[in-house]
Amino acid sequence: MERRKFLGLGLTAAAVLPAILNAKDFRAEKPDTWTAQKVDAAIEALYGKITPVEEGVTVQAPKVASNGGAVPVKIKSDIPAKTVAVFQDANPEATVAVFDLSEGGIVDYSIQIKMKASGTITAIVEGKDGKFYLGKQSLEVALGGCEG
Amino acid sequence: MANMKIKASARNGIVKCKVMMKHDMLTYDQAKAKGTEANFITHITAKAGGKVVLDMSTSQFLSKNPLIKFDFSAEGLKAGDMLEMTWTDLSGKTVTESKEIKGL
Repeated sequence: MERRKFLGLGLTAAAVLPAILNAKDFRAEKPDTWTAQKVDAAIEALYGKITPVEEGVTVQAPKVASNGGAVPVKIKSDIPAKTVAVFQDANPEATVAVFDLSEGGIVDYSIQIKMKASGTITAIVEGKDGKFYLGKQSLEVALGGCEG
Repeated sequence: MANMKIKASARNGIVKCKVMMKHDMLTYDQAKAKGTEANFITHITAKAGGKVVLDMSTSQFLSKNPLIKFDFSAEGLKAGDMLEMTWTDLSGKTVTESKEIKGL
Protein backbone atom coordinates (compact mmCIF):
# COMPACT_ATOMS: atom_id res chain seq x y z
CA MET A 1 0.00 0.00 0.00
CA GLU A 2 2.80 2.39 0.91
CA ARG A 3 4.49 1.96 -2.42
CA ARG A 4 1.23 2.46 -4.24
CA LYS A 5 0.67 5.73 -2.50
CA PHE A 6 4.17 6.89 -3.31
CA LEU A 7 3.70 6.20 -7.01
CA GLY A 8 0.42 8.05 -6.95
CA LEU A 9 2.11 11.07 -5.46
CA GLY A 10 4.70 11.06 -8.22
CA LEU A 11 1.97 11.08 -10.83
CA THR A 12 0.22 14.04 -9.25
CA ALA A 13 3.42 16.01 -9.12
CA ALA A 14 4.08 15.34 -12.80
CA ALA A 15 0.57 16.48 -13.68
CA VAL A 16 0.94 19.72 -11.77
CA LEU A 17 4.22 20.74 -13.36
CA PRO A 18 3.00 21.78 -16.84
CA ALA A 19 0.30 23.88 -15.22
CA ILE A 20 3.00 26.01 -13.67
CA LEU A 21 4.86 26.50 -16.93
CA ASN A 22 1.72 27.82 -18.55
CA ALA A 23 0.27 30.53 -16.38
CA LYS A 24 -2.96 28.61 -15.93
CA ASP A 25 -3.97 25.57 -17.91
CA PHE A 26 -7.70 25.13 -17.63
CA ARG A 27 -7.45 21.87 -19.52
CA ALA A 28 -5.48 20.27 -16.75
CA GLU A 29 -7.32 21.99 -13.95
CA LYS A 30 -10.91 21.55 -15.04
CA PRO A 31 -11.01 18.58 -17.39
CA ASP A 32 -14.79 18.24 -17.04
CA THR A 33 -15.31 21.60 -18.68
CA TRP A 34 -14.01 20.36 -21.99
CA THR A 35 -16.17 17.28 -22.21
CA ALA A 36 -19.42 18.85 -21.01
CA GLN A 37 -22.06 18.77 -23.70
CA LYS A 38 -24.40 21.44 -22.42
CA VAL A 39 -23.45 25.07 -21.86
CA ASP A 40 -24.90 25.05 -18.35
CA ALA A 41 -22.97 21.93 -17.42
CA ALA A 42 -19.75 23.37 -18.83
CA ILE A 43 -20.19 26.58 -16.86
CA GLU A 44 -20.83 24.60 -13.72
CA ALA A 45 -17.75 22.48 -14.28
CA LEU A 46 -15.60 25.56 -14.74
CA TYR A 47 -16.90 27.98 -12.15
CA GLY A 48 -19.20 25.95 -9.93
CA LYS A 49 -22.79 26.98 -9.35
CA ILE A 50 -23.08 30.61 -10.35
CA THR A 51 -25.81 33.00 -11.36
CA PRO A 52 -24.30 35.42 -13.87
CA VAL A 53 -25.76 38.86 -14.45
CA GLU A 54 -26.63 39.48 -18.07
CA GLU A 55 -24.92 42.83 -18.60
CA GLY A 56 -21.68 44.49 -19.52
CA VAL A 57 -20.45 41.84 -21.93
CA THR A 58 -20.74 42.25 -25.67
CA VAL A 59 -20.58 39.29 -27.98
CA GLN A 60 -20.38 40.27 -31.61
CA ALA A 61 -21.03 37.77 -34.34
CA PRO A 62 -22.69 37.94 -37.74
CA LYS A 63 -26.44 37.28 -37.73
CA VAL A 64 -25.98 34.80 -40.54
CA ALA A 65 -22.63 33.11 -40.92
CA SER A 66 -22.05 31.78 -44.42
CA ASN A 67 -19.21 29.50 -43.38
CA GLY A 68 -19.54 27.59 -40.13
CA GLY A 69 -15.89 26.63 -40.36
CA ALA A 70 -14.78 30.08 -39.30
CA VAL A 71 -17.34 32.23 -37.56
CA PRO A 72 -15.77 35.49 -36.42
CA VAL A 73 -16.70 36.25 -32.83
CA LYS A 74 -15.73 39.33 -30.88
CA ILE A 75 -15.95 39.51 -27.12
CA LYS A 76 -15.72 42.85 -25.45
CA SER A 77 -16.21 44.08 -21.92
CA ASP A 78 -15.15 47.00 -19.76
CA ILE A 79 -15.41 44.96 -16.57
CA PRO A 80 -12.04 44.35 -14.87
CA ALA A 81 -11.90 40.63 -15.41
CA LYS A 82 -10.05 37.65 -14.06
CA THR A 83 -11.18 35.08 -16.60
CA VAL A 84 -13.32 34.97 -19.71
CA ALA A 85 -14.95 31.82 -21.02
CA VAL A 86 -16.64 31.26 -24.37
CA PHE A 87 -19.28 28.60 -24.98
CA GLN A 88 -21.64 27.65 -27.77
CA ASP A 89 -24.47 25.15 -28.01
CA ALA A 90 -24.22 23.87 -31.61
CA ASN A 91 -21.25 21.51 -31.32
CA PRO A 92 -20.95 18.18 -29.51
CA GLU A 93 -19.06 19.84 -26.68
CA ALA A 94 -19.86 23.26 -25.35
CA THR A 95 -16.59 24.93 -24.39
CA VAL A 96 -14.63 26.89 -26.99
CA ALA A 97 -11.98 28.74 -25.05
CA VAL A 98 -11.08 30.05 -21.64
CA PHE A 99 -8.94 33.16 -21.32
CA ASP A 100 -6.95 33.88 -18.21
CA LEU A 101 -6.28 37.58 -17.89
CA SER A 102 -3.09 38.99 -16.49
CA GLU A 103 -2.57 42.48 -15.20
CA GLY A 104 -3.17 45.08 -17.87
CA GLY A 105 -5.25 42.63 -19.84
CA ILE A 106 -8.08 44.10 -21.84
CA VAL A 107 -11.20 42.09 -22.64
CA ASP A 108 -11.30 42.67 -26.37
CA TYR A 109 -10.81 39.37 -28.14
CA SER A 110 -11.61 38.28 -31.65
CA ILE A 111 -11.50 34.61 -32.43
CA GLN A 112 -12.80 32.39 -35.19
CA ILE A 113 -14.78 29.38 -34.17
CA LYS A 114 -16.36 26.36 -35.79
CA MET A 115 -20.08 25.84 -35.54
CA LYS A 116 -21.86 22.77 -36.73
CA ALA A 117 -25.31 24.36 -36.83
CA SER A 118 -27.15 27.50 -35.84
CA GLY A 119 -26.85 28.24 -32.17
CA THR A 120 -26.02 30.67 -29.43
CA ILE A 121 -22.61 31.86 -28.35
CA THR A 122 -22.34 32.59 -24.65
CA ALA A 123 -19.49 34.48 -23.03
CA ILE A 124 -18.97 34.60 -19.29
CA VAL A 125 -16.73 37.16 -17.65
CA GLU A 126 -15.49 36.53 -14.14
CA GLY A 127 -14.98 39.97 -12.68
CA LYS A 128 -12.29 40.89 -10.19
CA ASP A 129 -15.15 41.68 -7.79
CA GLY A 130 -16.06 37.99 -7.78
CA LYS A 131 -19.26 38.47 -9.75
CA PHE A 132 -20.06 36.84 -13.04
CA TYR A 133 -21.31 38.61 -16.12
CA LEU A 134 -22.80 37.09 -19.21
CA GLY A 135 -23.23 38.05 -22.84
CA LYS A 136 -25.05 36.15 -25.54
CA GLN A 137 -25.46 36.22 -29.29
CA SER A 138 -27.56 33.89 -31.41
CA LEU A 139 -26.72 33.33 -35.01
CA GLU A 140 -27.64 31.23 -37.97
CA VAL A 141 -25.09 29.11 -39.73
CA ALA A 142 -25.67 28.47 -43.41
CA LEU A 143 -23.05 25.78 -43.83
CA GLY A 144 -21.95 23.69 -40.88
CA GLY A 145 -18.28 23.78 -40.07
CA CYS A 146 -17.58 20.48 -38.40
CA GLU A 147 -17.95 18.35 -41.50
CA GLY A 148 -20.13 15.78 -39.83
CA MET B 1 9.50 28.47 -40.00
CA ALA B 2 6.57 30.49 -41.01
CA ASN B 3 4.14 28.85 -38.74
CA MET B 4 2.57 31.97 -37.40
CA LYS B 5 1.83 35.38 -38.75
CA ILE B 6 2.17 37.92 -36.02
CA LYS B 7 1.32 41.57 -36.17
CA ALA B 8 1.68 43.75 -33.12
CA SER B 9 1.59 47.51 -32.97
CA ALA B 10 1.29 49.96 -30.13
CA ARG B 11 -0.81 53.07 -30.21
CA ASN B 12 -2.00 55.31 -27.37
CA GLY B 13 -0.70 52.96 -24.73
CA ILE B 14 -2.43 49.91 -26.09
CA VAL B 15 -0.81 47.13 -28.08
CA LYS B 16 -3.05 45.59 -30.70
CA CYS B 17 -2.09 42.12 -31.84
CA LYS B 18 -3.24 39.90 -34.63
CA VAL B 19 -1.96 36.36 -34.79
CA MET B 20 -2.67 33.69 -37.35
CA MET B 21 -1.51 30.19 -36.55
CA LYS B 22 -1.18 27.46 -39.12
CA HIS B 23 -2.85 24.42 -37.69
CA ASP B 24 -5.32 21.88 -39.00
CA MET B 25 -7.38 21.90 -35.82
CA LEU B 26 -8.86 18.46 -36.47
CA THR B 27 -11.87 17.87 -34.24
CA TYR B 28 -12.68 14.40 -32.99
CA ASP B 29 -15.45 14.12 -35.58
CA GLN B 30 -13.28 15.23 -38.48
CA ALA B 31 -10.46 12.96 -37.41
CA LYS B 32 -12.81 9.99 -37.29
CA ALA B 33 -13.98 10.70 -40.83
CA LYS B 34 -10.40 10.94 -42.05
CA GLY B 35 -9.20 8.01 -39.98
CA THR B 36 -6.52 9.99 -38.19
CA GLU B 37 -5.97 11.25 -34.69
CA ALA B 38 -7.66 14.40 -33.52
CA ASN B 39 -5.20 17.20 -33.04
CA PHE B 40 -5.85 20.77 -32.09
CA ILE B 41 -4.25 23.63 -30.24
CA THR B 42 -4.96 23.36 -26.54
CA HIS B 43 -3.10 26.31 -25.13
CA ILE B 44 -1.91 29.66 -26.44
CA THR B 45 0.32 31.99 -24.51
CA ALA B 46 1.66 35.38 -25.44
CA LYS B 47 4.44 37.19 -23.64
CA ALA B 48 5.71 40.71 -24.00
CA GLY B 49 8.55 42.21 -22.03
CA GLY B 50 8.68 39.14 -19.80
CA LYS B 51 5.02 39.39 -18.82
CA VAL B 52 2.24 37.07 -19.88
CA VAL B 53 -0.28 39.13 -21.82
CA LEU B 54 -2.53 36.43 -23.22
CA ASP B 55 -3.23 33.03 -21.84
CA MET B 56 -5.96 30.94 -23.32
CA SER B 57 -6.97 27.32 -23.06
CA THR B 58 -8.77 26.30 -26.22
CA SER B 59 -10.85 23.44 -27.51
CA GLN B 60 -11.21 21.92 -30.96
CA PHE B 61 -13.80 24.49 -31.97
CA LEU B 62 -11.42 27.19 -33.00
CA SER B 63 -11.42 27.40 -36.77
CA LYS B 64 -8.77 25.85 -38.96
CA ASN B 65 -5.71 28.10 -39.02
CA PRO B 66 -7.16 30.12 -36.15
CA LEU B 67 -6.88 33.87 -36.18
CA ILE B 68 -6.98 35.69 -32.89
CA LYS B 69 -6.93 39.36 -32.12
CA PHE B 70 -6.24 40.76 -28.72
CA ASP B 71 -5.20 43.96 -27.00
CA PHE B 72 -3.11 44.65 -23.95
CA SER B 73 -1.71 47.63 -22.13
CA ALA B 74 1.68 48.82 -23.35
CA GLU B 75 2.72 49.96 -19.89
CA GLY B 76 6.28 49.09 -19.00
CA LEU B 77 7.26 48.06 -22.50
CA LYS B 78 10.20 49.67 -24.26
CA ALA B 79 11.17 49.98 -27.89
CA GLY B 80 12.49 46.76 -29.33
CA ASP B 81 10.43 44.50 -27.07
CA MET B 82 9.17 41.35 -28.69
CA LEU B 83 5.81 39.66 -28.64
CA GLU B 84 6.44 36.00 -28.03
CA MET B 85 3.67 33.59 -28.99
CA THR B 86 3.63 29.98 -27.94
CA TRP B 87 1.10 27.29 -28.69
CA THR B 88 0.83 23.72 -27.58
CA ASP B 89 -1.31 21.15 -29.32
CA LEU B 90 -2.86 17.88 -28.25
CA SER B 91 0.09 15.80 -29.48
CA GLY B 92 2.39 17.84 -27.24
CA LYS B 93 4.03 19.83 -29.99
CA THR B 94 5.02 23.32 -28.97
CA VAL B 95 5.84 26.15 -31.31
CA THR B 96 7.18 29.53 -30.30
CA GLU B 97 7.66 32.53 -32.51
CA SER B 98 8.33 36.14 -31.76
CA LYS B 99 8.03 39.44 -33.51
CA GLU B 100 8.98 42.95 -32.58
CA ILE B 101 6.16 45.18 -31.39
CA LYS B 102 5.95 48.18 -33.65
CA GLY B 103 5.36 51.75 -32.56
CA LEU B 104 6.70 51.54 -29.02
